[in-house]
Amino acid sequence: MLEPIHVSLASLNLATLAPMLIAIVGALGILVIDMVKGGLNKTLYVMVSLLFLLLDLGALVDFAGVFIKNGTVLGFFDVMLMDGIAILSQIIIVVGSMLFIPLALTSKRFHEYNYPEYFALFLFMIAGFQFMVATDNLILIFVGLETASLALYTLIALHNRSKSFEAAVKYFTMGALAAGFYAFGSMILYAISGSVEINQIATILAEDHYRNIGFVLLAMAFMIAAFGFKLSMVPFHTWTPDVYEGSSAALAGYMSIVPKIAAFVVAMRLFEFLVHSGIVWLQVILYIGVVVTMTASNIWALVQTDVKRMLAYSSISHAGFVMSAILIGTTQANTGLFLYWALFSFTNLGAFTMLWVNRQKNLLPGQSSDHPYEKFSGMIKTMPMGAVMMGLFMLSLAGIPPFGLFWGKMYMIGAAVSAGYTVLALIMALNSAIAGYYYLKLIVFMFMKEPRVGYEKYYFMNASLSLRTIIGLAAVGTIFAVFAVNPLLKVITLFVYNSGY
Amino acid sequence: MIDHILTLLIFFPALAAMLGFVVTKDSMRAYGIAVAFIEFVLSLWLWYAYDPMISGMQFMESMPLIPAFGINYLLGVDGISLFIIILSTFFTLIGIASLTEKRRIKDLIITLLFLEMTMVGVFAALDAIVFYVFWELSLVPMLYIIGAWGGPLRIYASIKFFLYTFTGSLVMLVGMLFMAYFYYQATGQWSFSILEWYRLILPENFQLWLFAAFFLGFAIKVPMFPFHTWLPYAHGQAPTIGSVILAAILLKMGTYAFVRFSLPLFPDASVFFMFPIAIIAIIMIIYTAMVAYAQEDIKQVVAYSSVSHMGVIILGTFALNVEGVSGSVFLMLAHGVVSGALFLLVGVIYDRRHTKLMSEFGGLASVMPRYATIFGIMMMASVGLPLTINFVGEFLSLLGFYKQSHMLTLTAGVAIIVGAIYMLSAYKKAFFGPVTNEANRHLKDVNRTELLGLIPLVIVAIWLGVYPKPVLEPINNSVESVIQLMHDKAQSPEAKERIPDLSGKNGIISMKEAN
Repeated sequence: MLEPIHVSLASLNLATLAPMLIAIVGALGILVIDMVKGGLNKTLYVMVSLLFLLLDLGALVDFAGVFIKNGTVLGFFDVMLMDGIAILSQIIIVVGSMLFIPLALTSKRFHEYNYPEYFALFLFMIAGFQFMVATDNLILIFVGLETASLALYTLIALHNRSKSFEAAVKYFTMGALAAGFYAFGSMILYAISGSVEINQIATILAEDHYRNIGFVLLAMAFMIAAFGFKLSMVPFHTWTPDVYEGSSAALAGYMSIVPKIAAFVVAMRLFEFLVHSGIVWLQVILYIGVVVTMTASNIWALVQTDVKRMLAYSSISHAGFVMSAILIGTTQANTGLFLYWALFSFTNLGAFTMLWVNRQKNLLPGQSSDHPYEKFSGMIKTMPMGAVMMGLFMLSLAGIPPFGLFWGKMYMIGAAVSAGYTVLALIMALNSAIAGYYYLKLIVFMFMKEPRVGYEKYYFMNASLSLRTIIGLAAVGTIFAVFAVNPLLKVITLFVYNSGY
Repeated sequence: MIDHILTLLIFFPALAAMLGFVVTKDSMRAYGIAVAFIEFVLSLWLWYAYDPMISGMQFMESMPLIPAFGINYLLGVDGISLFIIILSTFFTLIGIASLTEKRRIKDLIITLLFLEMTMVGVFAALDAIVFYVFWELSLVPMLYIIGAWGGPLRIYASIKFFLYTFTGSLVMLVGMLFMAYFYYQATGQWSFSILEWYRLILPENFQLWLFAAFFLGFAIKVPMFPFHTWLPYAHGQAPTIGSVILAAILLKMGTYAFVRFSLPLFPDASVFFMFPIAIIAIIMIIYTAMVAYAQEDIKQVVAYSSVSHMGVIILGTFALNVEGVSGSVFLMLAHGVVSGALFLLVGVIYDRRHTKLMSEFGGLASVMPRYATIFGIMMMASVGLPLTINFVGEFLSLLGFYKQSHMLTLTAGVAIIVGAIYMLSAYKKAFFGPVTNEANRHLKDVNRTELLGLIPLVIVAIWLGVYPKPVLEPINNSVESVIQLMHDKAQSPEAKERIPDLSGKNGIISMKEAN
C-alpha cells in the first residue's frame, strides 16, 4: 500500500512564489474590476498596475535582504530558486515594467489602452518573466517563457495597425519554432541526465565526464537556436526589426529590455556551466555568435531610414555585446551584464519614449514609416529641449562618456580584457565606433539640418505630463549615471558572486 | 578655494553655459566674454599660485568616483599642463571676443563654454578614465560647431572628424583598461590613476602593444600622417572659431597625451618606436608642406602648415630628452598662439570677401596695411624666425633630436626651412603686387574688435620669443622629472642609453643652470 504523502507547508516555502503571485493577483484584480464596472479610464488601470508592481518590487527587496543574510532560498519542491541573479533580474524586470507602463498615459487616444485586458496581460507577462528567471527547472522556465511570450504576442496585436498584426503573427510563429527547439533541447538533456534541473544536469554530466558529448552538443544546438530567437542573435534575429516596427514605440522599447534580461539570465544558467566545462565547440559557436550579432546588426543599422528600425537593430547589437558576458563567464563579466542592462534600460527608455511622444496617429503624406530620420530635421530650432534630450540618449547609446551606457561598455570591455579576451575587447570597441555613425546620423539630422516646415507640431504631439516626466527621469538617470555606478556595482557584484556566477 | 581651483576651472564654464540658456540673445556675446574672461583670470591665478620650483603635480584633488573599479576624480597640474590650460582659457576668451558669427550666436557661445570645460578637463585630469571622459566629450561640441556653423560640406566634415577620432580613442580605451588590469595583477587593486601607473614597470612586449593602442588614439588626434585626412576637411569647413580652437588647443590634446602617457608609461617602447615615429614626423613636415604649397585656398595653406608644424612637435617629443620634450611642450603653446592667430586672420578676410581663394586677392598690403603687418608678423613667427615664439620651440625640439640622430635632425631642419616657402609664397600672392581685383580696392582694414583679439596674440608671440624663461622654466622642471622617471623605468640597455639620467645631471646642460 502506498504511503500517504506528507508535505509540510513550511517546507514548501511558498514565500518564494510571492513576487509572481502579486503580479498575477494584480492581473486578476484588473479583470475583476472591469467585470464589476466596465468603461473605466486607462489612468485607473495604469495606477493599479503600478501599485501591484510596487508591491512586487517590495517583495523582491525583501528577498534581497534575506539573500544577503541567508543566501539562496529554495521553495516549492526546490523548483523555485531565489538566488542573487534571480532577484537582480526580477528587480530589473519589475522596475523596467514600472517605467514603461505609464507610457500608456499619452495625450492621444490609442485604442489598445482602452482595453483593461491590456494591463492584465501586461501583468501576466511580467509574472511569466519572473518565473523564467527564478528557477533552474527547465520545465518551469518553459512555462514562464510561454506565459510571457503569449501575453506579449497579444499585446503587440492590440496595437491597431495592419503592420502590428503582421508583427504579432511573425513573432508568434517564430516564437513557436523557438519553443519547439527549446522543448527538443530540454528533452535531450533530460534523456542523458535524467533530470530537468540545470544544476543537477551540470553535476551529472560532469560526473560521467561528458560521455554523451554528442547528445550534449545536439541539445546545446537546440538551446542556442531557442535563445537565439529570444535574444535576437544573428542569424535568428530576422523577426526583430519587423516586430519592433509593428509594435507601438512604447512596447518596442519594452521588448528591447525586459524579455531580453529574462533570456540572458536563463542563458547564463544554462550555458555557463558548459562554457566552464571546457567544451571548445560551444565556446567557438558562442564567440562567433557574439561577434556576428554585434557586427552584422550594426552594419544593418547603418542603412536604416527609420529611427525605430535603427534602434531595433542597435538593440540587437547591444544584446550581442552583452552576450559576450556569458562567453567570458567571469564574475566581473556577469556583473557587467547586469550593470550594462540596468544602464541600458534607462537610456533606451528615454530613446523610445522620445519616439513615442512624437508618434502621430496617421502617417503623414509622403511618409512611409512612423519615424523617418527626416522627421527630426532641424529639431534643435523648433523644439530645442526635445532635440537635446534625444541627442543625449543617442550619445549615451553610442557610449560617449560620461553618459550612462559608457560605464557599462567600459566595464564589459574591462571584463573581456581581464579574462584575456583581447581580440573580443577590440571587436567590442570597434563595434562601438561603427555604432557611433548611426546614432550620430540622428544627431546630424536634429542639430545640423534645416527644419521641415509644418513638422513642429508633431514632435510632441503625443506628450503628456507623465511622458515628459519619464523622459526627464531617463535623462537624469543617463546624465548622472556615474554616481550610480559604484553602488550598483557593489550590490550586483555581491549578488552575482554569492550566486556562484 | 585654491585647493579646488582645478574643479572650479573645469566646471565654472559649464555652469555658466547652463545659466547662459536664460541670457537674452543680444547680451549673449557680452556674457560669453565675461565668463571667458573670469575663467582666464582664474587660470592666471593658477599660474600665480603655481610653484615653479616643484616639478611634480600641484593643486591635486581626489575624490572616489567608482572605487569598486578604481576610478577616482583625480586632478592636478604640473608645468606641462599648466600652460596648456592657460592657452585654452586664453583662446576661448579671444575666440569669443572676436566672434563675428551672426547666426544663433547664443547656441554657439554656450557650445564654446562647454568645449572649454572639456579642454581644461583633459589637461587637468590625472585619472585615465576622467581624462577619457573629457577627451571624448570634447568631440561633441566640436562636432556641433563644425556641423552647424560650417561651410557647404560641413556635415561630411563633422562626421568624418567625429568618427576618426572616436574610433581611435576607443582603441585607446582598450589600452587603458589593459593598463588598469596590469595594475590589478601587480597590486591586487584596480586603479586608473596615471600617477599610480607610473610606478608600474611593464615587460617590453606588453609595452609595445599598449604603446600602439594609445598611439592610435593620440596619432589621430594630433593628427599624424597618415591619419591626418580628417583635418583639412574639418578646417576647410569649420567656421573661424572652430578652426581657431581646433588648431590652437584640440590638436594639442594628442601631443600632450604623448608626453603624459606614452613616454613615462612605456619608456622602452618609446625608444623602440623613436625612429619610426621620427620618420613619420619628417614625412609629415615635408609632405604637408608640399601639399600646402599646392593649395589655392589660404585657409588650407594655414591648415596644412599647422599639420607640418605638429610634425616638429612630435619630433621633439620623441627626442626623449629634456631639450626635446621641453621644446615640444613649448612649441605646443607657440603653435597654439601662432596657428590660432593665423586662422583668426584668415577669418578676418573671409568676413569681408566671403572667399578664401588666394587668386581673388593680391596687393592687400596697400589696402589693409595693419592687417598685412599683423599677418606678416604671425607668418614670420610661423616659419620660426628668431625672436618669435615658434623659434624657441623649434630650436629646442631639433636640438633635442640632434642628440639622437644627426642625419634625421638635419633632414627635418632643412625640410622646415624649405617648407616655409609655401608661407612666403602665399603671403606674396595675397598681399603684394598691384591690386588686381576691383572688389579688394576698398576693403576696410582691421577694426577695433578684431584688433582686440589679435594684438594680445602678437604681444605673446614676440614676448615669449624674446624672453621664454617664465614659461620654459616650469615646463623644464616637470619635463626633467618625466625624463628621469623614464630613465629609471627603462629596462632595455638601448633605452637606458638613449634616455638621459638626470639624477647627477652630469654632462647634461639643464635649462635652469644655463639661465
